[in-house]
Amino acid sequence: MRNFEFFEPTTVEEASSLLAQYNGKARLLAGGTDLIIGMKARTEMPEYVISLENIPGLDGITYDEGSGLRVGAMTKMRALETDAIIRDRYTALAEGAAEVGSIQIRHLATLGGNIGHASPAADAAAALLVLDAQVQIGSADGQRTVPIDALFTGPGTTVLEPGEIITAFEFPPRPANSGSQYLKQKIREVMDLAFVGVASAVTLNDGAVENTRIGLAAVAPTPIRATEAEGIINRYHPVTKEILEQAAEAASAQSRPISDLRCSAEYRRQIVGVLTRRTVQTAINRAQS
Amino acid sequence: MSEYSVVGKSVPRVDALDKVTGAAQYGADVHRPGMLYGKIVRSKHPHAYIRGIDTSEAEKLPGVRAIVTQADVKTGRSVFATDKVLYVGEPIAAVAATDPDIAEEAAELVKIDYEELPVVQDVLEAIKPSTPRLHNDDTKDGPARRVIKARLKKLSDDESQDHSAEIEELTAKFESLEDEVYYNISAETHTEAGDVEKGFAESDIVVEDTYVVPRVHQTYMEPHVSIAEADSSGKVTVWASTQGPFAIRSGVAGTLGIPLTQINVIPTTMGGGFGGRFGVALTHVPAVLLSQKTGRPVRVQMTREEEFVDGRPAPGCVIKLKTGATNDGRILARQALAFWDSGSVSGASIGSTIRVRGVYKIPNLKVDAYGVYTNKSGTTAYRAPGTPQVAYAGESQLDEIARKIGMDGVEFRLKNMREEGDQIPAGAKEPKVGYKETLKAVADAAGWWNREKGPNQGWGVAIGDWTNGCGPGGIYISVHEDGSVRIFHGSIDITGTDTAIAQIVAEVLTVPYEQVTITRGDTDSAPYATGSGGSVVTFTMGNTAKLAAEDTCQRILALAAERLNTSADNLELKDGKVSVLVQDPPRSISLGELAAYSLSTTGGPIVGKGSFARKPSTPALAAQIAKVEVDPETGNVRVLKMVSSQDVGFAINPMAVEGQIEGGTVQGYAWAMMEEMQYDEKGNVNPGFVDYRVPTSADLPTVQSVIVEVPAPNGPFGAKGVGEPPITPTLATMANAVVDAIGVRITELPIKPEKVIDALKQNGK
Ligand SMILES: Cc1cc2nc3c(=O)[nH]c(=O)nc-3n(C[C@H](O)[C@H](O)[C@H](O)COP(=O)(O)OP(=O)(O)OC[C@H]3O[C@@H](n4cnc5c(N)ncnc54)[C@H](O)[C@@H]3O)c2cc1C
Repeated sequence: MRNFEFFEPTTVEEASSLLAQYNGKARLLAGGTDLIIGMKARTEMPEYVISLENIPGLDGITYDEGSGLRVGAMTKMRALETDAIIRDRYTALAEGAAEVGSIQIRHLATLGGNIGHASPAADAAAALLVLDAQVQIGSADGQRTVPIDALFTGPGTTVLEPGEIITAFEFPPRPANSGSQYLKQKIREVMDLAFVGVASAVTLNDGAVENTRIGLAAVAPTPIRATEAEGIINRYHPVTKEILEQAAEAASAQSRPISDLRCSAEYRRQIVGVLTRRTVQTAINRAQS
Repeated sequence: MSEYSVVGKSVPRVDALDKVTGAAQYGADVHRPGMLYGKIVRSKHPHAYIRGIDTSEAEKLPGVRAIVTQADVKTGRSVFATDKVLYVGEPIAAVAATDPDIAEEAAELVKIDYEELPVVQDVLEAIKPSTPRLHNDDTKDGPARRVIKARLKKLSDDESQDHSAEIEELTAKFESLEDEVYYNISAETHTEAGDVEKGFAESDIVVEDTYVVPRVHQTYMEPHVSIAEADSSGKVTVWASTQGPFAIRSGVAGTLGIPLTQINVIPTTMGGGFGGRFGVALTHVPAVLLSQKTGRPVRVQMTREEEFVDGRPAPGCVIKLKTGATNDGRILARQALAFWDSGSVSGASIGSTIRVRGVYKIPNLKVDAYGVYTNKSGTTAYRAPGTPQVAYAGESQLDEIARKIGMDGVEFRLKNMREEGDQIPAGAKEPKVGYKETLKAVADAAGWWNREKGPNQGWGVAIGDWTNGCGPGGIYISVHEDGSVRIFHGSIDITGTDTAIAQIVAEVLTVPYEQVTITRGDTDSAPYATGSGGSVVTFTMGNTAKLAAEDTCQRILALAAERLNTSADNLELKDGKVSVLVQDPPRSISLGELAAYSLSTTGGPIVGKGSFARKPSTPALAAQIAKVEVDPETGNVRVLKMVSSQDVGFAINPMAVEGQIEGGTVQGYAWAMMEEMQYDEKGNVNPGFVDYRVPTSADLPTVQSVIVEVPAPNGPFGAKGVGEPPITPTLATMANAVVDAIGVRITELPIKPEKVIDALKQNGK
């Protein structure tokens, strides 16, 4: 690992100023499960590392029936997967979090880090897409909000400006008759990165499926929504096997996977279809129960 | 009920407490005052000429203390590449610096001027004439050319007749077999028994297939590490995490021209080896060179990535296999042509190709095997070297035949298995073996005979055989005044062998297991011990321990005879004391009292010794049955049941034996389903645990171990080597179970989900 200078600011403003001052040479440190690995492998060689650990208020889960769910950027994956409200109402997020690495890793890994790292395969990303997350971004100049759909710009890149820090994720309230699921295609049962990840969320209105969201991970340069497939599910009632199949095909078609050492693009496209069908079905079942 | 009181019992391992509390000192735990950190400068190209090595920038970096290259190797033995590199990761130089980060940075500052050469990674490509050559070696003939060549020689040697017409015809044929001229061959072996052509002609069914097994890494938990300390007198001390300290001593001595007595190798607790931790080249020699140059202790420790690019993994293999059988299930002939992926140097495992014969009565057998050079690191042993690869081919093909002739897979194997006195194809006569018992045991335990399966589920059975090795070793035993017993030896405990040694000594000396302790010496202080590989340790060191304990007994009885005023044959050692057999009044003396007494005798303290080299070993079988379920949409394969039986001769410690069976089975499962070192023209593309997957405990249900005991005449208490056999069947076990589930055979491992999907598609499913 290269030598670096280490800062432990106690406010977002302070952290932001440092980040802006050393723009390009500084990295934020949350749980370190991406950053430290990268620094050891020398794919990341920051000269300045700014820890978010000592900034109060960045960690924690709050829920309000009226305003919905707020998850601080420093919230650990383990906290997300074990939180009763998230498991019940924001199930795909709990499942996405539970897919990250191992329990040990999940006690370190944060949601802010997973999203800030902006890997197309990030396990929490598809859930945030389907649960309509709003990303709270803070800096020395103030606060702004970006919808999750607009956050990612490419592998490892986001719309964050120099000096900007993700402070929290906000999710609208989810009614009881809603359901969601995240599924991940992998070879190893745990500690494997997603070959493909798919999250789906639906709300039922008088038995009709509404507000369908389908999020895809590891099949495009960024996590993406399968909007065509969402439209198909919303349009038809009831959602039959044939409709699910159509949606699956639409999601496959909208994915833009690559072939790499893990598997071929063709295989990924097929899996997008399979997991879209399965997660939409489960989301509907969960909304009904 | 066993006649023994300590052996045959699952006593806790002697090292259990140290391991679970973290007290055990591994190589990476060794720190020496003033220690420097070494880093190897490695090739970035898989095949290139080196036009220049410039260390000047690196030398200027503050904290750098020394840089060594081949020029520093006074013996001229090859340690670093000089004019050509053959794989990514090949060592070119080594740096020592005051901290690991500086060493790493300095290694990057060493400038290597390369002239790149074409690369070959695939064995079937490498043997072709159009391929780049790694070494300046001759071509070799393929099997058909070899047959013709032999015939030609016979004809031309025979002067009784004129063979010119036939010679001319054969010569023309010989020359026309152009694709049987193999390039880049590192080694070859050929074995023949009977007449395979005749055997195939007589067969009702002949199946032929090509099986591809990937190169896999031993993935021991602890990467290679070595700490070397050369003092001003020239004495060199090496702390080594190794399977064979004595091999490291002689290896370092030979490579660097250091007298044997000037090297002491201190073995540390070892974090796994599986055959991959015998060599001196990876860290030991560079550490010694750097220490000699700086006069300071130097640690060289590989990262996981370095392990993948410059470890010595198990070779991949392409096996063309043909087997003929009768419709009633008799195997008549088998022919194999194997190409082993040796990497850049002549490699391991090729000699195991013969094991494709399995434990069957195959009257006609022909095996041709070639090692092939490719632009990868060299290879070495991995748990039953070479056997998992060929057993995968052999047992897959038997499964195919059993399916085709409609015979149960277990029945088919039982019908063809050898028994005591049967001829081993191209070998001797079979000694007393437990092949059938072992296969029947697994079938019974797994519920094979009334097995059921749901949709997309399948059952697979396979076997693998192995015979433990043997080697020289010595042990001393000392009995103390408190009745405790201490064993001194120099062999490395990987699998629980110290525990087995302690159990054997406790059994013979009739003392409680808890009273026996072990001291492992270094190469200066311990008697010689063979390396811990080839399942040798319990067999060899167990025999040695038994001899040493028996020797100790002699001394104990002689002393007791003196003390109790009787003759030694009127004495019995039992429950830790010596008693008079026939005499009034009954008298006895404890071992502690005897040991105390021994200190004031003219004979001196109670010390026993044992020394052992070799006795014939007995083959052991491992047999497995798996039940799997395949997700036909994703291709994922889940194991529902895994049962693994093994003939261990005699289980000195059943718990430790089960541990070996479970571990080997899981490693075999991993090779079948996920492990694979992937290469392209840039070298190894998955040098880490993200994309080189080893399974976790979440991937398999508990492996059900079934211990079979058919005693080995020469093993201690009948024990056979246990460590290696359980990995041998699993590649085929898994492949056969998947076939049973989806009706399609995947002949190229690992059976990744995508391959399952592709296979299903190709078969219109
Ligand atoms: C063994 C192992 C297994 C893993 N398995 C998985 C897996 O299965 N699935 C998966 O998705 N990931 C996996 N990961 C990756 C990693 O654990 C996750 O991405 C994790 O959520 C990252 O969070 P962190 O807090 O550790 O981030 P860090 O490493 O601290 O930071 C990651 C990146 O995000 C930036 N960042 C951090 N916080 C913020 C913020 N508040 N605002 C803006 N930028 C920020 C950092 O500067 C850095 O560039 C694994 C990692 C390891 C080591």
